[in-house]
Amino acid sequence: MNVGNKKTVLKMKEKRQVSQAVKDELKLFTKTKKAILKALKDNKKNVPELSEELNMPTDRVLYFLMSLQKYGFVQVDGIDDMDEYFYYKLKDNG
Amino acid sequence: MQDNNKVKEYDALVIGAGIAGGEAALNLANVGNRVLLIDKDLTVGGKMIMLSKVFPTLDCSACITTPKVSEIARHSLITTLTSTEASDIVQKDNGTFEALITTQPRYVHIEDCTGCQLCEEACPVNVEDEYQYGLVGRKAAFIPFSIASPRAAAIDIENCTLCGACERACPTNCIDFTQTVEKFMIECKTVIVATGFQLFDPTLIPRYGYGRFKNVITSMQMERQLAPTRPFNTVLRPSDGKIPDNIAYVLCTGSRDKTVGTPICSQVCCMYSTKQAQLLMGALPMADITLYFLHIRAFGKGFNEFYAQAQSMGVEYVKGKVAKITEKEDGNLILRYEDISTGKVTETEHDMVVLSVGILPNQGITGLFKNRKLELDQFNYISQSNPLESPATTSIKGVFVAGVASAPMDIPDSILSAGAASSEAANYIRQLSVKQVEV
Repeated sequence: MNVGNKKTVLKMKEKRQVSQAVKDELKLFTKTKKAILKALKDNKKNVPELSEELNMPTDRVLYFLMSLQKYGFVQVDGIDDMDEYFYYKLKDNG
Repeated sequence: MQDNNKVKEYDALVIGAGIAGGEAALNLANVGNRVLLIDKDLTVGGKMIMLSKVFPTLDCSACITTPKVSEIARHSLITTLTSTEASDIVQKDNGTFEALITTQPRYVHIEDCTGCQLCEEACPVNVEDEYQYGLVGRKAAFIPFSIASPRAAAIDIENCTLCGACERACPTNCIDFTQTVEKFMIECKTVIVATGFQLFDPTLIPRYGYGRFKNVITSMQMERQLAPTRPFNTVLRPSDGKIPDNIAYVLCTGSRDKTVGTPICSQVCCMYSTKQAQLLMGALPMADITLYFLHIRAFGKGFNEFYAQAQSMGVEYVKGKVAKITEKEDGNLILRYEDISTGKVTETEHDMVVLSVGILPNQGITGLFKNRKLELDQFNYISQSNPLESPATTSIKGVFVAGVASAPMDIPDSILSAGAASSEAANYIRQLSVKQVEV
């Protein structure tokens, strides 16, 4: 079926409220995404380096960084001399 | 193509569209029966489609599953419904069944979705991706994974901010927030229960630290890390993104353990752990892989050779039950265990631990039937009333069981079990037809 008017979300808004937890999660992701993309703007970085710069635990940095990789914002750019951590940079999307 | 036409009468209802349910549905349809195949998930393929490779052949799991999934989708006699469950199943006096079918809204018209992912791109939300077992995020408007069937988007309404971006981005106008729960009755001649299994929750063994120590993961999380559709670019420690070089496996996590209520062997953990160890040797050639085990059960065709192959590749097998895992400041983990060969309590350090979790029966299946009792065995799997001569028969005449719903088993055995269930079901359908003719 083709819905056509592209505004069915308004109907859902009439009967459903977005929870505060969902709003908070969106804020956190948007803020973290901006911070990671800004941190990678000039230099490639690995997870511990990003963690220090963003003052965020390394496991959370990895989670958000890998999500951004999945969504096509960042990509791998080599590995450190000890073969321990990958470096990540902004993805050149043309 | 998914057919949403609500045909009221079917020859067979197959509950669960994993490898067992899918195989049973195909077998039945290939001999001319109309089949309604339902799954509560957004996609068919069950757990098998999520695996990296299969043991002991190391064939690509997705490469085996996807042609079958495609065949199911294209078969003119199979109607597949996802996000769908059956309930209130009643057996009538003539031996046929009635069932209530309930489909949850996907908020996407599957037949119009091209899988372009523009809705995903537009969605601003990021939540844990359950198909990657929480290792990475996904959007609230999302396609479950690249080889999902149907390959169509879905809206996770619980995490949706109702911004409408997906709807505006969709080129085919297939997103529809006005969709509601659909319920309808069907009549069928036979029912096949292929509801599969769930994985053991390792938080029930707090001394292993799962959920507290980031580098303690489950075997399914490692399976995803090794799969072609993996969450990271390679195998990484979830705590900090470091490439692990010393990985331990703790076998029998939630199997053969009366303290957590699962006294039986899960049948697959020894071999899937051995498979993952071999794959890790390929992905991380410098890594040390150690498996801590009680007994290695390599009982199937080629299993012992597979086990020997892992040993010859350098995988270390240590006979010992891990008592406790503790975390160091750098995220490394200390395993305390009794080494059975020396009789000494020993501690070793690893930088990542994989818990080889066991499998458990899915709950709530008995509640589907209203006027008949589907009996369970002592381990809560569906009881096989005649396991040697007719392994698919259950306590209800006309209801058959396929795959892990009847007992823990590996993929080839699940497929064999589905073959038995579909043969029995086809025979039952034929008997009913003969009776009708006689009447």
